[in-house]
Amino acid sequence: MTARDSALHALNRLAYGPRPGEVDSVARYGVMPWIERQLDPDHLDDKLLQQREHAFKILDYDRGDLAQRYRDAQRERQRMQRELAQTEDSMRPDKIEGPMREFRELGGELQQLAIVRATLSERQLREVMVDFWTNHFNVFVGKGADRFLLPSYIEQTIRPRVLGRFEDLLIATAESPAMLFYLDNAQSVAPGSAPPRPFRPFSPFFGRRRFGMNEMPEDRRRQRPTGINENYARELLELHTLGVDGGYTQQDVIEVARIFTGWSIEPPERGAGFVFRDWAHDHGTKHVFGLTFHDDGKDEGVRLLKFLAMQHATMHHVSAKLCARFVADEPPDGCVDAAVAAWQKTRGDIRAVLRAIFTSPDFWSPQVVRSKVKTPFEFVVSAVRAVSADPDTTPRLAQVVARLGEPLYQQPAPTGYAETEAHWVNSGALLARMNAAVALAGGRLPGIDANLDAVIPATTDHSQLIDMVDERILGGTMSAHTKSVILDQLADVPDPLQARALAVGLAIGGPDFQKQGTGR
Amino acid sequence: MTISRRVFVKNSGLALVSLGMEPLFLARAVFGSYRPLPSLTGSDRPILVCLFQRGAVDGLNMIVPHGDPLYYEERPRIAVPQNTVVDLDGHFGLHPSLAPLKELWDNKSLAAIHAVGSPDSTRSHFDAQDYMETGTPGVKATGDGWVNRYCSHDREHAPPGTPFRAVAFGPQLPRILAGSAPSLAIDDLQAFGLRVPQEGARDKLTRAFEELYEGEGTGLLASSSREGFDAIQMLKRADPNQYRPATGVDYPQGRLGRTLLQIAQLIKSDVGLEIAFADCSGWDTHVNQGSNEGQLAARLRELGLALSAFSRDLGDRMSRVVVLTMSEFGRTIRENGNSGTDHGHATAMLVMGGPVNGGRVLGRWPGLSVEQRFEERDVAVTTDFRDLFGEVLARHLGAGDLSPIFPGFSPDPQRFPGAIKSL
Repeated sequence: MTARDSALHALNRLAYGPRPGEVDSVARYGVMPWIERQLDPDHLDDKLLQQREHAFKILDYDRGDLAQRYRDAQRERQRMQRELAQTEDSMRPDKIEGPMREFRELGGELQQLAIVRATLSERQLREVMVDFWTNHFNVFVGKGADRFLLPSYIEQTIRPRVLGRFEDLLIATAESPAMLFYLDNAQSVAPGSAPPRPFRPFSPFFGRRRFGMNEMPEDRRRQRPTGINENYARELLELHTLGVDGGYTQQDVIEVARIFTGWSIEPPERGAGFVFRDWAHDHGTKHVFGLTFHDDGKDEGVRLLKFLAMQHATMHHVSAKLCARFVADEPPDGCVDAAVAAWQKTRGDIRAVLRAIFTSPDFWSPQVVRSKVKTPFEFVVSAVRAVSADPDTTPRLAQVVARLGEPLYQQPAPTGYAETEAHWVNSGALLARMNAAVALAGGRLPGIDANLDAVIPATTDHSQLIDMVDERILGGTMSAHTKSVILDQLADVPDPLQARALAVGLAIGGPDFQKQGTGR
Repeated sequence: MTISRRVFVKNSGLALVSLGMEPLFLARAVFGSYRPLPSLTGSDRPILVCLFQRGAVDGLNMIVPHGDPLYYEERPRIAVPQNTVVDLDGHFGLHPSLAPLKELWDNKSLAAIHAVGSPDSTRSHFDAQDYMETGTPGVKATGDGWVNRYCSHDREHAPPGTPFRAVAFGPQLPRILAGSAPSLAIDDLQAFGLRVPQEGARDKLTRAFEELYEGEGTGLLASSSREGFDAIQMLKRADPNQYRPATGVDYPQGRLGRTLLQIAQLIKSDVGLEIAFADCSGWDTHVNQGSNEGQLAARLRELGLALSAFSRDLGDRMSRVVVLTMSEFGRTIRENGNSGTDHGHATAMLVMGGPVNGGRVLGRWPGLSVEQRFEERDVAVTTDFRDLFGEVLARHLGAGDLSPIFPGFSPDPQRFPGAIKSL
């Protein structure tokens, strides 16, 4: 493999594809030193992105602000519901969505922020890992209070820890209001437990209104939780740590759920942060995985999470998933074993685990270099980077990602999106990619400011045009077949601007660019 | 007895194949279907529409056992009150939100199967959905889905030259359709294809991309793109958008209504659709499920209105259509501490359409008392979902041999719940 090939491979996997000229600059800098810099991103200057982030007002609100606004919007909507109930059909949710619109807009802004960061950040690997962990610890933005809990989940829970220790990330997600709400642990209480004083149920966590998957007028009876809820416990074991084959039983799930009783959320007026409610905690002794948990309040859960973070099943499950992201859909054993060994040696230092993957021979093997198809998010971001375009703050580019099949933060299932191509490659999604590519090349893709002149000067020399597209956009990986098809297509296109748009559209919408690898 | 008959069918089937004859009539004899062979052209081909209620629908509040006092004891806050249930047979009734379906029940084109589910005990959505789509409970390594396996084994029913034999409505191809037989994912019928306003330019660009992807040879990119380009060609000729819903038919707002409308358009345009698949999510009601009103009621209302609209829209065509609902598991019999229900075991499924043996709640009802439950908490499974799906494939679509479709399982007509009429 040449230095340029290695640089391109690293940029495809550790970053969202090369920007024009970047393959050469990484090759000159040295691929391994570049990887080391990406593993230690705090030293990288990221001024351009930091300036752009100022345009996102969602970063100015803290969780408390958002909670307050959300509650106000809820109240306004309830008032409208009451009014509507007296006049006509109260089951028409579309009529009462007005007050909630701001939160949908904030959700769109949050999606777009992810695209802007992935496109512009110099700390590319960090952004790839933000995407990976946000998906691993998936929270569905459409579930009630998660509309306002998700921003702080991403900013404060996930982002600071993506290259830290797995254990810290696991504990942070367990304590995060977003996860506590999403997987219902906030409402899991020991059977028979009762609050010490007259318990005032706080909307939206314990209110008489609920925030389920749909927001429909609801049972008006005042209700407070009276039992354990197994949802978080089960997904913690199945998805976040041990994996579905991790060898646990239904009884283990119940014991784990008992350990986490009382892990809950403060009411919105107090900032909607984490709270441990001692009255709701199951004070009995729990037995799980050969461990005994005597009554020790919140520390029981922390102890369990630390234990889970170092279990072999966890190390293997998460390492294999990392390898599926970075190496191949069906990763070879070698890189997985190397990752597990690094995990064991460093007690779950994510940086060390990644380094083990990037230095394993499997990562550089020729089959692997050609193997992966880009996810919808990777495709859109890499296309925008390839033409050096600048995404704006509207959610329009995020809507393109959604059309390709994987809208950000909108996977309702706690599994997150799969890491394997069969889940996003299908005929409809491919046509959507071709449409996005043609729109991008024609300057019609909404949500970006593209200046193709700076990347590919228009020319009437079609061979030269195709070479430039290959060199600047595909990193020199255009197949001979692609070249000849594009050349044929250009034959009756005399206008240089139209020819350029067609060549770029076919290149980005064609098969070579769909892959995180070479087309050859 | 059953086994030896199946062996006979298999062996003689092989012999007939070697003579160039199809052994279908023998399989029909075994599976009790006497439906005439579908012709390979024309519009009398049987069609199956599958709706997956992702998130595990609460079968007990969908098809309510209102005759059982235990149901009311276990669900003080979320049971559907007896006086509001739409009674079906004195013991079971429809959730009031499903009232639009009562008419179909009365004219015998709707049946429910209760206590149906997977022999695997998992309560993980992910696993249970996977098992229901691969058709191999407990086996995670299965790469393809049972609908796809039906398509690849039952070539005799393949409408010639159509990419629309199996279509999933949605942005992603679901597991149930994954596999070697061609299948399509269509997010929006109207927007399927390249979006270039001018027709000549659009055709030229489509051909250019088609050529580009021809260079791929093999692999998922190659096959998916080929299926896409074939579909564009055919949609262009058939123009399904000319079909508007029948007069007076209103599909409910929302994704499900839109999807069923598009499935109806595709059926009416006779492009060779045999199996359509769509998701309908939002059934994971852990918290504040509601009874007559609330989250579940709202989802069921949308389902009832959408199915009723679909049936009226297709009119006479429903005589060859079966709609089958499925969900990965049911929910706990007892309501939880949050006025919701947690992951359970058996659930209820619906079958609708002309060929359905309707007006009955099918399957053996296991009862709700503690000793009758699965693991002392959930509705026990008395019908393996593969017996229901197998019956629909054999008796409605005319599948010849079910064993390659559900590997490791011996479908037995004796266990079929009786969802499809034997003529």
